[in-house]
Amino acid sequence: MTKPLPLPTPPSGVGELAHLPDAPAPRPGFLQLAHGIGSQHDLPISPFYAFAGAFAALFVSFLALGLLWSASRFRGDRSGLALPAAVQALADAHVTRAALRGLGLAAALFVVLHLLLGPDDPDRNPAPGTVYVLFWVGLVPASLLLGPVWRMLNPLRTVHALACRAVRRDPAAGRPLPARLGMWPAAAGLFAFTWLELAATEPASTTTLLVSLAVYAAAQLAAAARHGDRWFADGDAFEAYSTLLARLSPFGRRVDGRLVLRNPLHGLDATPAAPGLVATVCVLLGSTAYDGFSGTPSWIDTVQTSPLGRTPTSTLGLLGAVALVAALYALCAGATRLISGQLPHPLAAFAHSLVPIALGYLIAHYFTLLVVEGPRTVIVASGTDNAAAPEPPLDPGGLAALQVLAIVAGHVLGVIAAHDRSVRLLPPGRAVAGQLPLLCLMVAYTLGGLALLLA
Amino acid sequence: MTTTCRHTHTPRSTHTPRSTSGRATRPSVVLVAAVLALVLGALGGCGGRPTTHHKPGTSHEQASGSAGELLAARDDDGHRFRQVDDEGAPEVALAARTDSEDGWNVHLSPRNFRFTPDSVGGAALPGRGHAHLYLDDRKVARVYGSWFHLPGSLVPRGSHRLTVRLYADDHTVWAVDGKPIEATIRLRASNGGAGHEHPEWNEGSDGNEGSGKSEGRDGNEGSDAARTVAIAIADGRVQPPPDRVELKRGERVRLKVTSDRADTLHVHGYDKEAELPAGKPVTLTFSADRTGLFEVETHDSGLVLTQLVVR
Repeated sequence: MTKPLPLPTPPSGVGELAHLPDAPAPRPGFLQLAHGIGSQHDLPISPFYAFAGAFAALFVSFLALGLLWSASRFRGDRSGLALPAAVQALADAHVTRAALRGLGLAAALFVVLHLLLGPDDPDRNPAPGTVYVLFWVGLVPASLLLGPVWRMLNPLRTVHALACRAVRRDPAAGRPLPARLGMWPAAAGLFAFTWLELAATEPASTTTLLVSLAVYAAAQLAAAARHGDRWFADGDAFEAYSTLLARLSPFGRRVDGRLVLRNPLHGLDATPAAPGLVATVCVLLGSTAYDGFSGTPSWIDTVQTSPLGRTPTSTLGLLGAVALVAALYALCAGATRLISGQLPHPLAAFAHSLVPIALGYLIAHYFTLLVVEGPRTVIVASGTDNAAAPEPPLDPGGLAALQVLAIVAGHVLGVIAAHDRSVRLLPPGRAVAGQLPLLCLMVAYTLGGLALLLA
Repeated sequence: MTTTCRHTHTPRSTHTPRSTSGRATRPSVVLVAAVLALVLGALGGCGGRPTTHHKPGTSHEQASGSAGELLAARDDDGHRFRQVDDEGAPEVALAARTDSEDGWNVHLSPRNFRFTPDSVGGAALPGRGHAHLYLDDRKVARVYGSWFHLPGSLVPRGSHRLTVRLYADDHTVWAVDGKPIEATIRLRASNGGAGHEHPEWNEGSDGNEGSGKSEGRDGNEGSDAARTVAIAIADGRVQPPPDRVELKRGERVRLKVTSDRADTLHVHGYDKEAELPAGKPVTLTFSADRTGLFEVETHDSGLVLTQLVVR
């Protein structure tokens, strides 16, 4: 305004171009979003959806107390309708297994080669999207629909088997695993991965990913060399994760080895109460909750202004979220034990009922990421540079409904699973009172999940 | 699935004749070549010079069209008015938004009207033609589409009228009730001409304010009132602290950012970027036309400045 009036310059096509600022070169790993990848978050849901969801959760909880069965009905892995023998033969065929192993190995090679040779830019390199979206988020629907898929695909298993063949060693040979270990390595591995995704400085940079993958693969292969391939089932974080989610799959394997179609609640009931199961579920719930929480402006401000630095603050936040979830659960397990008299393993006895709640959280938080960034990753992988992400398939209202529905459905399944377990384990006179603490805990988790969608 | 099929079938169909073409089939090859030559010749004839006197778009004569009724009234350039019934008549609305780089993006929203660049110069057909854009009665451009970029260099400082008027293919003015079909908005250039060169990082002032009200027939969204969000970064701290800006879809937002060190501003989702020189305010203006929650951040320092909540 204070400048003298400049003379109008004649319009020219070249001048128009010259006005453009130099396009800044893409900087490695500048995508520092909570998801590690992706350019948009879900809109906060409207209070209407949140209140409707909360009301439904409370209503169902108390209805369950009064109306559900009084003798345990779930028969775990003894239930199910056997699939035709041809289907089972196809699923168990050596060729099928070998093809799946080859597929897993090819996908791993694809990621590693893109990380080594591709540009350090998640908009042009499909590897980060493949790891964080197609693999990590995609594992949820894949396991839910098809069962424990990662056990079939796990490239580390394949590498171990190939190495054993090369040195003429039995892949199963090795020292037995300590019984107390259980799923603790999986819990630690899942925490490490979620830390990488949510708290590390540059989660999508190729260097970070390469180093993390190399360290993880080295640790897994070393453990497998020591314990044999039985290590992977509970020691590989992603196999354990996939197997845990597959408990809710309609397809499963009966105790007699037959592939069956079954009620997911029966499958869930068959979850072995291994040591570390509680920790694994708490990591899943806590990290997903932190993912929602870390997008709020107040937490962003806390992280950006913290004297500790950003990564330590985020790490503390993530640890705090997991610890809060775990502390609430421990409190509730203690209360259950007090009310019900004797209960040998109060912590492990009900841990399986948190799996559907964790699943509800996962769907609510990662649905958009999968349907938007998943296709984009495939487009980038097929050779298109800087592909535009497709439009989300749901409008904000539909998405909010889906998110609330996922959380409430997880809550309902959790309540039912816990109810059946409590009428089996607790003395008949105390079965209703004994599940009150757990019910309160689930309501708290569910309201917390809805509150995070509101934030 | 379909793509794969297409890919596998095409080579087979082309390979088959080649594999059977031996000595015995030579006459047929000649025949095919002759037919091909004929077809190509015919095609070439079709693609040659047209025999009409005027190539499309070169004639300025008023071909006699049966559409509407020619009036005696003429526009400033001497084009006669062509009056049509009010019902089903073309309409047009006009809107202009300040561009973040330079000038304005002008949007024409015609109704009952199609732009027909291919048949310009021909007879007037109802609901077809082109538009003229006038700045204070001075013709700026003939327009064949709904978007037009008006360079800031064409607009001297001050307040101006921007008018769009609809024309038929024969360059008559479409009119209703003796008045041309047109729409006018006001533009205000506070910093005219060459001053537009780097409005983003030279000035930081609202370099070129787009204006105001639509006087178009539909009276639609000519409004360019952008939501302004001012943010300052000093010593790695964001002031005011990160918050959420609630926007309606389509609303304009103007980010005014001052950083104490050189950096790059980036709006996620919209992929808007601007260089931030140390200590100088920079304005980035755009319309929020995607719903979602998007972060505005800096690249080098990796700070989240604010979140845009677009519903």
